[in-house]
Amino acid sequence: MIATPGPACPPLPVGADECVTASGAPRPAYARTLAAALGDAAMLTDMRDRAIAWFAGRGITFGVPALEGAPIIPFDPIPRVLAATEWRAIDRALAQRVMALDAFVADCYGAQRALRDGVVPARLVYSSTGYLRDLVGVRPPRATHCHVAGIDVVRVDGTFLVLEDNVRVPSGIAYALVAREATLELARDWITAAGVRSIDGYASRLRRTLERIAPRPWEARIAVLTPGPYNAAFFEHRMLADAIGGVLVSGDEIVVHEDEVYCRCASGLERVDVIYSRVNAEWLDPLLFRPESLLGPPGLVEAWRRGNVAIANAPGSGVADDKAIYPYVPAMVRYYLGEEPLIDNVPTYDISDDRQRRHVVAHLDRMVIKPVDSSGGYGVTFGRLMSAAERAATAAELEAQPRGWLAQEEVALSRALCLSPNGGLEARAVDLRPFVLLDEQPWVVPGGLTRVARDTETLVVNSSQGGGSKDTWILTR
Amino acid sequence: MDSHALTFAVSHHTILRYSEAVSPSYNEVRMRPRDRGTQRTLTFALITSPPAVPRSRVDFFGNTVHRVDIGDPHDTLAMAVETVVESALPRGRSSPAGWDPATLERDARLEYALASPRVPLGPSTAALSREWIGDDRSFDALVELSMLIPREFRYLTGATTVDSSIEDLLGGGAGVCQDFSHLFLAVARHAGWPARYVSGYLGPEGEHASTSGVSHAWVEVCGADGTWAGLDPTHGGHVGPHHLRLAVGRDYGDVAPHRGVFYGTAHASTPEVTVRVTRMSERAARTAERGAALYWQQQQQQ
Repeated sequence: MIATPGPACPPLPVGADECVTASGAPRPAYARTLAAALGDAAMLTDMRDRAIAWFAGRGITFGVPALEGAPIIPFDPIPRVLAATEWRAIDRALAQRVMALDAFVADCYGAQRALRDGVVPARLVYSSTGYLRDLVGVRPPRATHCHVAGIDVVRVDGTFLVLEDNVRVPSGIAYALVAREATLELARDWITAAGVRSIDGYASRLRRTLERIAPRPWEARIAVLTPGPYNAAFFEHRMLADAIGGVLVSGDEIVVHEDEVYCRCASGLERVDVIYSRVNAEWLDPLLFRPESLLGPPGLVEAWRRGNVAIANAPGSGVADDKAIYPYVPAMVRYYLGEEPLIDNVPTYDISDDRQRRHVVAHLDRMVIKPVDSSGGYGVTFGRLMSAAERAATAAELEAQPRGWLAQEEVALSRALCLSPNGGLEARAVDLRPFVLLDEQPWVVPGGLTRVARDTETLVVNSSQGGGSKDTWILTR
Repeated sequence: MDSHALTFAVSHHTILRYSEAVSPSYNEVRMRPRDRGTQRTLTFALITSPPAVPRSRVDFFGNTVHRVDIGDPHDTLAMAVETVVESALPRGRSSPAGWDPATLERDARLEYALASPRVPLGPSTAALSREWIGDDRSFDALVELSMLIPREFRYLTGATTVDSSIEDLLGGGAGVCQDFSHLFLAVARHAGWPARYVSGYLGPEGEHASTSGVSHAWVEVCGADGTWAGLDPTHGGHVGPHHLRLAVGRDYGDVAPHRGVFYGTAHASTPEVTVRVTRMSERAARTAERGAALYWQQQQQQ
């Protein structure tokens, strides 16, 4: 069924449930902002072409920029629009969720109350690669661990659910910021007329969040620690360092001397007060963790433990990022905050639990199987697409290595309108990664990164899997 | 002073050589005997060359860790530990009770019942656990196990290295105390016991006697009441006052006496280690004891 919302608007694909209702009528938020633009196919195609040139000209890539021909993230010119009321619910829910995750990390490195009370299985924590037992007993500045979080949210049958929590080194905010920059540059009249909340404040909020944890608040020299130009998100590291007035360093550019951290600058050694680390904590300090790592300087963790430098996110936060622990996040909200979770998980099964594992094996065709410590969509398989032999192999693997896997029910991600390669409109799966900064109170960036699947068939939206992005508009009213 | 206590003097010397000068180097040293249970350290000195002022912390497992940073270029790092340790005779051998599995699931000691980097819980050790322990949940089964391992495997210095795995021991049929302890831990953990690795020294039997070249390793098993009982899977059976405990952890990886990182392109040779443990006479022990007391007094007055 195809509906025509107005004289200027072309027929909309019915499956695009982000933008149109089941009957095919555009949702109010879209009708107001998109109707005119959607009628102007030439304008959209032109905007896309100019956007490609705009991104390429700025070297905005996802991939290895040090290599030739790194891909730019495919940018879709049609924004994703969320009404003010929809956003208010997400904002409150994610603030709550990040508070609970932070409390959980503090607990893991403190009294471990939740483990003793059986809220989260101790077995999962003690076997997590993100649980750094050598940091038990360390209380980071202001007792905050998860300063920056990226929570992946999907809309299923009209309800927002959390697909994944990222509190190690969540990336993507830079792509959201440049998507907005591109829209302002290429379609300023359009976005101004729509009345969209600004996301400009991210950098200054991030800076304030980092300054607050500096050992000496009156001087906060911030370094952004990057794994280096071969990292897929290097562009983002460079951009954020600039935006917050920090210095971009790799592991060999900082040294630890008598438990103080210094960076090698043009003028010599300069003290560093806060490190915004984009290196996984297990790689931060070869003296404590992986001896072969060159991504962080030896002695860094001891400097942090003694309070001479602050690190965001606090080393060890990865325990809350372990996919095997994710099923217990709603329980954490109830336990630590004494509140009902305002947003639920996608239905998820803990493979280490015998009963749940049997259920997963029996209903494999409805499941998505994910490795617990991988990101970027690598190793994710759909039971529906497996042959009988593959299903048997998967069942055997889940039996043999229960701790290595997580199962989620396959859900139909909501679909948003996208510009198809031939200039028409099509509906593709989307998710949303809003970023949450945990200062004294959590602050959720109004919008975040909307990722879209590569084509109408694909259900995975990860950038590493060819997914693209679009600007996310949170309407002011 | 407990007249039933034995006193030992331990010299533990380590020399690390690099193929060319390095600078700086950062080192973590776990060589201070533990002050827990029936053991206490009367004197302790860690002297390095090039000289450094070691700083100490206590790690997750309760071991003292000394940090030694050397800033000047050096191609050799020597670390000399001189310590006097008093070890009391245990008040009768404990025979801890096994755990209720549901209770252990909520206890911090669960950590020691799970696989760890050097003690993976795979099918081969699971089969051995079924064969050797089966359904027997008693501590006696573990005492038996500690006596079975030295019968089943040959103690042969050089058969394995510090990096060898449990599979190397099972495949080759021979190993040293480290391998025997890792195997014990795997079998005990399969059977649901929290069990940990202990590094240390084995003191000589007679007075004035000394042993050299003996760094030793054994295990401790935790009972449901939270007490740890030591077993020696190299010699078989319970540990005694001659077992001097240095550090404990999930496996060797947690207790390695030295861990170091340096800047430079050099490669490090295998550390040269000499250990000498001497049983002190009553008289010498009392002198050491007085020295320790005097040192404490001075510390308090400062």
